[in-house]
This record gives sequence, structure tokens and C-alpha cells, in this order.
Amino acid sequence: MGKYRIYLFTLPAVLVLGIFFVYPILLSLRLSFTDFTGVGIPKDVGWKNYERIFTRSRYLDALQVTLLFTLLVVTLQTAIGLCFAALLHRLPAIRHFCRAALFMPAMMSFVIVGYVWQFIYSPFNGGLNAAFGRLGLAAFQHNWIGDPNTALLALGFAHVWMFVGYTTAIFLAGYAAIPQDLDEAARLEGTSGWQRFRHIEVPLLAPSFTINIVLSTIGTLKTFELPFIMTRGGPDGATRTLSLHIIDSLFGKYKFGFASALSIVMLILVVLIAYIQNRVLRAREARL
Amino acid sequence: MMKRTTTPVIASIGTLSLLAAASVAQAVTIEVSAWKGNDAEPAGMPELIERFEAAHPDIDVEFSYISRTDTDIVLPPRLQSGDAPDVMMADMPLVKVWSDAGLLAPLDKGTWFERLSPAVSATVGSGDEVYVMPLEVIGMGNYVNMGLLRAAGIEEPPTTVDALVEACEALDAAGTSPMLLTGGFPAALFVTANGLEPDPSVAAALGAGESTFEDSEAFAAALGKVRRLAEAKCFDPKQVAGVDPWSTALAEFKAGSFAMIPQGAWNILDFSTVDELDFVFAPIPASADSGVALDLFGFGWTISSQSEEPEAAKAFVDFFTDDANLQTLLEAESAYSPFADGSSGMAELAAPYDAARAAGASILFPFSVLQWPKELEAELFDSMTGYLLDIEQDPEDVLVRWDEIVEDQ
Repeated sequence: MGKYRIYLFTLPAVLVLGIFFVYPILLSLRLSFTDFTGVGIPKDVGWKNYERIFTRSRYLDALQVTLLFTLLVVTLQTAIGLCFAALLHRLPAIRHFCRAALFMPAMMSFVIVGYVWQFIYSPFNGGLNAAFGRLGLAAFQHNWIGDPNTALLALGFAHVWMFVGYTTAIFLAGYAAIPQDLDEAARLEGTSGWQRFRHIEVPLLAPSFTINIVLSTIGTLKTFELPFIMTRGGPDGATRTLSLHIIDSLFGKYKFGFASALSIVMLILVVLIAYIQNRVLRAREARL
Repeated sequence: MMKRTTTPVIASIGTLSLLAAASVAQAVTIEVSAWKGNDAEPAGMPELIERFEAAHPDIDVEFSYISRTDTDIVLPPRLQSGDAPDVMMADMPLVKVWSDAGLLAPLDKGTWFERLSPAVSATVGSGDEVYVMPLEVIGMGNYVNMGLLRAAGIEEPPTTVDALVEACEALDAAGTSPMLLTGGFPAALFVTANGLEPDPSVAAALGAGESTFEDSEAFAAALGKVRRLAEAKCFDPKQVAGVDPWSTALAEFKAGSFAMIPQGAWNILDFSTVDELDFVFAPIPASADSGVALDLFGFGWTISSQSEEPEAAKAFVDFFTDDANLQTLLEAESAYSPFADGSSGMAELAAPYDAARAAGASILFPFSVLQWPKELEAELFDSMTGYLLDIEQDPEDVLVRWDEIVEDQ
């Protein structure tokens, strides 16, 4: 009995997880087999909701948009975050100030960020087009969020702008864990900055890569705020993510059962991708 | 000794009991929830509630402002748990969901139901019972910057497509951007108005799948009109297609960057705060001389079936059937009365729109009266954006998308 008593200390955490995490998921799963409208008594409809999701092209298109958006954001955010971290690692005098400055966009509300970037991207004297005009680069002026070919990229850039500070901070923490002796020894061997970055820093930052990629993937897969505020899923569905479909189904169409089914599909997708990523990246860490 | 003290004591107890009973009889409080009544959209609520309480000293009103978006989040759990407000503001989509779940009390039609305009009456009285007392019908038309039009030599707001094309050509020649017909909402208003203009009664059949948009010559022609406007340089379709009609577009019109934009009358108050903006609210240009007044059935009062004060709730709802009281709300909202004999709350600048309604050119927006499914609205906005991005595409390709959504219901 004594050695099992220690598990009693996990009880509060298990209870909280159970009530606020497991139970809502089980409830969503149950609702996903009904036609619940948010009020009244839900009626069982079997697999109808899931059949609808996988046979209607608009939901499969939304899945594609979600995956593409995630790939774009995670790649850009990780790469840019790494560049900033590598730079700030070499500039200790301004490191703290720059880290705080990079973090500031993440402190802003999605609504503010969305509306600000919407005006920056506006085809009518928006900040970006105006800047291109002033710099003599009028050829680059474009309808950034009005063109299906660039809308997702524009949204992705705003998203990266907002969260690159997090990525940079995690990489900087990774840099702090790299023994300085290694860097000194490499310098004595006559290696260039690029060689030290490529062969020493990047491999030793493997745990930071894992954390950054997994966290940003999970966060971006679920995102709906910027597409909702900036484009409402347009133009013509070019930025309509699965999360937007969930929100649209819930509020306005009152299809709680269908929204629950979409949520379960999204949950499975997120768990699957996170599991695969974690395994691959942990294996990479072990190899390095 | 006992006799001298007993009588006054009994009399005191009796008096106190009567006073207590009287105060209990006065203590009735009803909770009213609405997405109007805050600082941004007062809709005359504070004044109306004060007037109601003065007229009904036995009823106190506890007013809860809940935004339209929050209504979807906050009220369903309260309705499910039996803790709903006594009186709730609702539009037709909410009325349908709540009444189907048995959460709304049927209203006593009294004398107000017969006074409703035929179109509104047909909507709220479609079943055996009536669950909502309508409060307003709000216009969706064409905002026209008359300052810019006059500078281009046009003295009247265009109400026909031909006049619109003329105005666009004049504005373009004067170096003014004529129109903001964004895909999300304005283009949908234009196409809906022109598509239903020849025969508004076809809306129900289209929404039920009994007729198809693909076979509708009127809707194909409406899309053709959009192309004609683009060719007349009313707008650059690729430029305006993806513009947000709820923020960027409104800001650009207020700034005087564009001369015209189809939108809802709820923007009148906001536009009126811009001193230099000389604008009118006109009908949507169409084939007929009058244009089309595309009316939106806004919202009304419903009573919770769980209300513990149904009589007091009924008294509150009945208060708004009085024209004098409803007028206060309509003027604040720039809206029209749902009653055939009711007044208008529209400002003078909406005279062109009023004229269209007086000429019988009013069509109720099908989504607001549940003739078209909600899912079609999103597809309408998306497909209009897609059409503007590729204006040479066959209109049938657009209309087929609408039919697919209707079939899916």
C-alpha cells in the first residue's frame, strides 16, 4: 500500500484533466453522432456528419488549406526564429532588448493584429503597397489578401510576425545550453561562423527544434483568428481553414453536432501529426 | 388593561400585513436580453425601458445587453438550464431553433398580428403559432456619395443599371473610383436584388430546391449585369473582390475614395458622423425605374417558455406594438416598422429608398425570412468573390454552386 500512496498525489491533476479535458472530448464525440442545435434534445444521426465531411469537397479543401497554412507558418517561423536567435546569440549587448521587442506582437490581441494587417495589406493605399510605391517598386504592388494565390501567404506572414518571438526565445534558450567550450574549440580549429552554425549549433539545437516545431504545428493547425478577422475564409475559400468551418457551423448555422464531428476530425489530425513529428524529431535528437 | 392594549396591537398587525401584501404585489421583475441598447447601438432602449416602467409601475425591467455573437454563446446554455431571460431579442434563425426545441412561448397575437405587413406576417406566422413580435425591417440599398456624383455632373442617385453605368462612366472620367462592389456582401446584395426583381415569389422555391438557380434566367442576367458594370469601369473586379465589406470597404467609402457601395441602412448613423460625407441611401439599381429596396427582417421580441412572469413579459412585448413607442426604436435604428400602418424611422437622406418602397419595389432578403438556407449565404459570398476574380466565367458555373448547397440541405 505504501508504494502506491505516491500515486494519490497525482489525483488532483488527474481530476482536473478528466473534468476539463477528457470529459469535454467524450461529450463532443457523443454529440458528433447527433443533430444537436445547441438547445433541445439531440437526435441520433449515426455517421451522417462524418460521411458529410469526407464526401463534400469544401471540407476536404479546408483540410488542405489548413495543412498548407501550417506547413507555411511552421517552416517560416522556425527558419526566421533560428536566424534571429543565431544573430542575437552573437550580439549579447542587444539580446535582451531584442528578445523583448520580438515578443511584443505576441502580447497583442488577435483582433488588433488582424485589423492592422488588414489595413497594411489593403489594395487601396494600404501600408505595404504605399511603401512599395514610395520605394519605386510599384511593380510589386498587389492585392495581397484579395488574390487567392497570395492570400494564404499574406495571412501566414502576419501569423509568423506575431509568433516569431516565441520561436526565437526557445532557440535562445537552446543556445544557452550549448557549452561555450565547444564554440571556443571550434574557433581555435579555424572554422568559419557558417561551419560552426551548420555543424555544431544546429545539431545541438535539436531539442529546441523539436519543441518549436511541435508547438507551432499544434497551434497553427487549430488557428482561426487571423483567417476569421482578415479574410473570413476568402477570397472564395482560399483561406478557409477547418477551424473556420467549425466556428461557422456552431454560430450562425447552429449545427453543434456537425461542428463536433469536425472537431473530432481535427483532434485526430492534430494528435496524429504531433505524434509523428515527436517520434521523428526525438529520433533525430537521439541520432545527433 | 388587556382590553386597552390588545385592540391597537391587532390594528397595527393588520395594517402591517396589508402593507406587506401590497409591496409583494408590486415586486415583479422581468429580465430582458437584447443585442441593442448599449452605447454603440442604443436603439432607444434606455428611454423605452424607462417609459415602460413608468407606464407599468408594478414591473421592473432588468436589461441585459448581449451582443448578437454572444447571444449564440450565452443564451443556449441558459435556455437549456431553465434560466433564460423572460424576454429575448431574436431574429428568425434563432426563433426557428428555439421554437423547435420548445423553448419559446407562443405569443398572443392580439390585434398586432393583423397589422403586420403581408410579407412579415407570412414569415412570422408560417406555422400554427407565432413566437416572435417583429420590431423592425431594415433596408439594404446603395449608399451614394452625392458630393462626388455632383462633381461628375450627376444630380440624382442611379436607380437603374443603365443610370448606374452612366454614372460610372462620368465618375471614371472625373477621376473618381465609382463603386465598391466587393464579393463578400455588396455584390451578393446586387445579384440577389436583380435576380429576384422580375418575380420575388420565386425565392421560396429556389431555397426549397423546387426551382434551380442554374435555370433562372433572372439570376443569370443579374450576373451578366455585374459583368456589364465591370466593363463600364464601375470597379476593377480583381481589386475589389476580396476587400472586407465590414471594415476596409466602409472606411474607404467614408474617406470619399469611392462614390457608391451597396450596404445596409445600419451604417447610416456611422456615416452621418463624417461631416464632409454628403450621401444618400438609395435603392439597389435594377431594371425597373424604382430600383429594388432589399429589406432585411431584423429582429423581434420572444418570450421564454420558462418565464415565471409571462403576464409581465407579455406586457413588455405589447408595449412595442404601440406605434409611438416603436417609433423611438425605429428612429434610432434608421429602420422601418413591420406594421403595414406603421411609421418609418428613416432619415431624409433615405428618401430615394423610401420612394422605392412606396413604389412597391420592396423585396425581403430571403435569408432573413428563412427562405434560403444559411449555408447558401456563405456560398453566395464566396462564389461572388470567385466570379469577380474571373468575371469571364460562365454565370452557370456560379449558379450551380448555389444549387449544390440547396440540394445538400
